[in-house]
Amino acid sequence: MDQEQTCGRQVIIIGAGPAGLTAAYELAKLDDNPIVIEKGDKVGGIARTEDYKGYYFDMGGHRFFTKVEEVNRKWREVLGDKFLRRPRLSRIYYNRKFFDYPLKPMNALLGLGLRQSILIALSYIRWRLRPYPEEETFEQWVTNRFGRRLFRIFFKAYTEKVWGISCSELKAEWAAQRIKDLSLKTLLLSMIVKPKKTITTLIDQFDYPQRGPGMMWNAFKGEVEKRGGSIRLNSEVVAIHNGGGKYIHSVEVACNGQKEVIHGTDFISSMPVTEFIKKLNPPAPPEVLLAAEKLRYRDFMTVCLIVNQADLFPDNWIYVHDPAVKVGRIQNFKNWSPHMVPDAAKTSLGLEYFCNEGDELWNMADPDLIELGKRELEHIGLASPADIDDGCVFRVPKAYPIYDSEYRDYLAIVKNFVSRVENYQTIGRNGLHRYNNQDHAMVTGMLAVRNLTTGEHHDLWSVNTDKEYHEEITGKSEPEIALEAVKEAFAQAFAKLDRLAFGFSIGATAGLLLFLATLFLVVKGGDVVGPNLQLLQQYFPWYTVTLPGSFLGLGYGFLAGFVAGWGFALLRNLSVFLYIALIQRRAERLLLRNFLEYV
Amino acid sequence: MAEDEKTLGKVVLTRLLRLNAIMQGVVTGIVAGLGIFIATNWLVLKGGDVVGPHLGLLGHFFIGYKVSFVGSFIGFAYAFVTGFLIGYFIARIYNRIVDVRERQRTIGS
Repeated sequence: MDQEQTCGRQVIIIGAGPAGLTAAYELAKLDDNPIVIEKGDKVGGIARTEDYKGYYFDMGGHRFFTKVEEVNRKWREVLGDKFLRRPRLSRIYYNRKFFDYPLKPMNALLGLGLRQSILIALSYIRWRLRPYPEEETFEQWVTNRFGRRLFRIFFKAYTEKVWGISCSELKAEWAAQRIKDLSLKTLLLSMIVKPKKTITTLIDQFDYPQRGPGMMWNAFKGEVEKRGGSIRLNSEVVAIHNGGGKYIHSVEVACNGQKEVIHGTDFISSMPVTEFIKKLNPPAPPEVLLAAEKLRYRDFMTVCLIVNQADLFPDNWIYVHDPAVKVGRIQNFKNWSPHMVPDAAKTSLGLEYFCNEGDELWNMADPDLIELGKRELEHIGLASPADIDDGCVFRVPKAYPIYDSEYRDYLAIVKNFVSRVENYQTIGRNGLHRYNNQDHAMVTGMLAVRNLTTGEHHDLWSVNTDKEYHEEITGKSEPEIALEAVKEAFAQAFAKLDRLAFGFSIGATAGLLLFLATLFLVVKGGDVVGPNLQLLQQYFPWYTVTLPGSFLGLGYGFLAGFVAGWGFALLRNLSVFLYIALIQRRAERLLLRNFLEYV
Repeated sequence: MAEDEKTLGKVVLTRLLRLNAIMQGVVTGIVAGLGIFIATNWLVLKGGDVVGPHLGLLGHFFIGYKVSFVGSFIGFAYAFVTGFLIGYFIARIYNRIVDVRERQRTIGS
């Protein structure tokens, strides 16, 4: 990067969520003085932490866990030791009962009852024997793995609450992306390289900033500003001015009723890609606008209730599968961090309602939503309305990009159009319309800055789709290289032993051995030539320790060796297949136990 | 997960195993050598009027081998060399055939 280029560059970053802030932080470290434009009154985007009367509410609940070492380093670099290592406990509420989560067979059996458990087992067997031939939808994907009955109990209601569309409309691709961590290969490797360490850590405990994720994003904001960058809150980009569709030269920003045009040389944006398209001036082509219109999001609200009880329940959060209530998940923020609550005698809960912006639930008045929350909390049996002191509501629009049956085609059109704008990069969950976690969002911010400053060519759309994305950001470390070698060795070890080739090689060697042994004794001679070797005659008719016998021995040896080698290879391949099938079943059981992590 | 399963499944279904000839030779050699060494010493320790008359027949092929403590070391060396050659050639022949078959398959597809 030459100095002239640095001096002449003015990067405008739209959105101060994890992706935008990371990009700003990286640029600020290079003395690039980025300008960050944020619509909201605080940083963090959809991973922000709201504050009400000293109580902190994490919008969605964000555990700090990543496999990308560079992201982990950044977290520590910015927040230092202000992390807590928290135990994790969560349960599922279904049919007026609480089930341990991750699911435990005995607990589930007792909760569901013997009859239901038998029906689940029968349904599982039926769908294992005759699965859907194609796995296009989420319903087909889960049913094929766990059976229809288990799908209905533990997957359907909650997933449909979260996504607001039928599981038969939700693409299977979403499930495959979200649960990639529990891949068969990872599981196999974990048995040898790191015995279940990563998975156990994820299940049992997690890191968390003392006052929620907002503490992290505020620290990022402080670092950016300290280094000369500026972050403008309450500033909404209302128009994006582009010249001929190839370059953006400025954005029009509305702040406190005033409008201002900000010019820049490069633009990085985490605003929803659909909004970007709609705000372009001159407008994008009609087909691109139509595609952007068709991309859908799911929104959610957190109804925050302050309960006059010191200790309500031990969980960090509870998944509510029961269709009798509208709430999808209940967060107990005090169990995330005791610093989230200013008064130790009270508890703060976040009742998460998944909805669509503008629908009946979204439009309900805050007091009505608080009443609804109180009623549902009482219905579940977690708290009495009389104990609830206060409450508030926070709305999070465009929290989740929806992977419906048509999204892929529309996204391709949008992506194609956006990729042609040369000084613009779209990042983050909504910028890429991809269900990325905060660490993946941060990776897109880092890679965008690398593309800009060092001329690298990272495809941001492939973050969290390509397994190697984290290698792009970190470079391969020695353990990773070693792991690659182990992976390759694994693939090699599980490869098929060619029956014909193995039979032939054993046969040829055995035949040759018998031929040489016979010939050796014939040449050696003596009164009685090879009386012991000749005993083979009992198995190989007409075989003798003579010159012609040596050739016969060659044939017999080849035949016997071939059969032995061929049979060995057959049994070996069969046992490998059975072993893999066993491992796959284990992986799927693990998947079932942890599935809700990924919804 | 689906992607990984496919990848591993693809490997298992389509990729043919290659054997490391040296390793195969060394392993076969060690197994054969240890087999003779232990079998010989077992008979030596067991003792008797005639020690290991049948195992002694190996002396026809392994010149100098006897069922004795010293013979067990000679037997180990002979068996190791023989075992190594057997293992090595099995692997080489196997790999050669697999190469030919894969080449034919590639041309065919």
